Amino acid sequence: MSRKQLDMTLLGLGLAVSFALPLVIKSPTYLQILILLFFYAYLTTAWNLVGGFAGVLPMGHAVFVGIGAYTSTILSNQYGISPWIGMLAGGVLAALVGVLIGKPTFRMRGAYFALCTIAFAEGFRVMIENIDSIGPLKLNGPRGLLIPLKGDSFWNYQFMHKEPYYYIILVMLLLVLALTWFISRSRMGYYLAAGGEEPEAAQALGINVARYKLVAMAMSCFLTALAGTFYAQLMLYFYPKGLLGLDLSFEIAFIALIGGRGTIAGPVIGALALRPLNEFTRIYLGSQLPGLHLVIFGTILILVMLYQPKGLTAPLARIYDKFASRITRQGGAQ
Amino acid sequence: MTAVIQAVINGTMMGAMYGLTALGLTLIFGVMKVVNFAHGSLLMVGMFTAYWLIKLTGIHPYLSLLVVPPLLFFFGYYMQNLLIKPVFKAEQQVREPLTVIIVTTGVWYVLDNLALMLFGAEYRTVKTSITGTSFSMGEFIVSIPKLSGFVVSVATAVGLWLFMVKTRTGKALQATSLDREAANLMGIDQYRIYNLAFGIGTAIAGIAGCVIMPFYYVYPSVGVVFDIRAFIIVVLGGLGSIHGAMLGGVIIGLIESVFSQFMPSTWTEAIIYAVFLVILFVKPSGFFGKKQDW
Repeated sequence: MSRKQLDMTLLGLGLAVSFALPLVIKSPTYLQILILLFFYAYLTTAWNLVGGFAGVLPMGHAVFVGIGAYTSTILSNQYGISPWIGMLAGGVLAALVGVLIGKPTFRMRGAYFALCTIAFAEGFRVMIENIDSIGPLKLNGPRGLLIPLKGDSFWNYQFMHKEPYYYIILVMLLLVLALTWFISRSRMGYYLAAGGEEPEAAQALGINVARYKLVAMAMSCFLTALAGTFYAQLMLYFYPKGLLGLDLSFEIAFIALIGGRGTIAGPVIGALALRPLNEFTRIYLGSQLPGLHLVIFGTILILVMLYQPKGLTAPLARIYDKFASRITRQGGAQ
Repeated sequence: MTAVIQAVINGTMMGAMYGLTALGLTLIFGVMKVVNFAHGSLLMVGMFTAYWLIKLTGIHPYLSLLVVPPLLFFFGYYMQNLLIKPVFKAEQQVREPLTVIIVTTGVWYVLDNLALMLFGAEYRTVKTSITGTSFSMGEFIVSIPKLSGFVVSVATAVGLWLFMVKTRTGKALQATSLDREAANLMGIDQYRIYNLAFGIGTAIAGIAGCVIMPFYYVYPSVGVVFDIRAFIIVVLGGLGSIHGAMLGGVIIGLIESVFSQFMPSTWTEAIIYAVFLVILFVKPSGFFGKKQDW
């Protein structure tokens, strides 16, 4: 068996298991945990286009989740437009906002950029919390928006069971992963990496770093907003503090950094490492000692950064390489 | 008009204390080029230490200034030495140590939630001999705890500035901030300077905790309120600039207090963010920042 065959077999196996899981796991609680795991992996992969490849640290991506959720929900609640269409509208709006924010901020160095995105996100949240309606559009201020139940309907993006949500987010995750893989191997990927590492040098080679960063930002924001619609339709309720707070923005960045920023598998590995930990410590410890699960979370964050500052993907890849070389050598001998 | 002048008085006093909370942050950034996301949590630790000290021993609130800042100095000193230095060393080649941001955020989560586990989520205040006291100046009322806080804030800023320009250690801090390789070559131990900078920055957060405690409530996530303001203030004033932090603090304090005369206080928060973004886009280096920093 060659290395390529081994990779492909394992990839296929992983895909088959992902698609078969709902056949085995029937508990809505566990399915919800898996859905949120994929949701976070998706968000982080979208974030990675800017935060990973373009080498800056956006800490306010919840804004774009919010734009997606609000746009599709307002359109469907008030105008009866299917969330599937609203989702695209939200994506386009988020991409525009992203470019608007990215244009002046991409000149900034890391710490400034991070602070600026935090301030933008917090400012956005405060605004939304204070606005009851913009013209005819009802935002409901701090109370948030509720999506009325319309029953099982694909057109209305509402399902009585968890399985459809599971498959939607799984497919979304696979698509965005494929897109990232494609970009990382394209001219744009190389330019982004060069611009992230050594912006001056890249500029000197005639690469328009700023333009590629903006394209990456637009794509990232568009994709992030799609997840916002997904979240709204899954929960059927959201409010500014929960959806637009710093917690979501920070968690996306943490998952990326723990998994491995700028790698394709990083967001998935980060989500696999952090999400179950988060959920189970909250379920089992949260009621006894409030805060303990976040103490554990913070400690793990510190430890990973101390011992694996590049994230978990690099050591895992090394282990896999060792394993693969053993397998393929055995295969060759037979 | 009276109300506006009263708001200016209150805003200036409160703003100086916001500036004080930003002072430690700006010092640490200036020297290490690291945004310490745990800064608000360290302020919270300072507030809780002052709270228990005052509550359990019944001492005058300002006596806590003799105990809390030194304690926090060692806390910050060892936090940098144990947690941040290793990450810094691993990222030596990187121009901007962004991983350090994540470590300090981890510290933030741990400290805030340890406080939650230990003390619960309730808001606590200490009733002291000076709580709620004030004197009147003509038709204006000046709160004594806030005035004392203002005086301590300005004194701390002046003290830090004198330390930076007059003492050998202060000059070593400045040198490291300007060019860490060159400072290294001149025989300055870069990591010892970082320990010091972090220690002093944390001690200043402790001072802020002590002067805020007599008129504010403490709870585990109180740091977030001051954290975001401190971020905005240091960017306004120019990351790394001492007088920038104080000026930025007063500006934020004034916006908050004057605008709340005319609109709901939640909107003043939005105005603060708007001002921040405008300044960032027009002059990203802030009032006194150096161009190469951003």
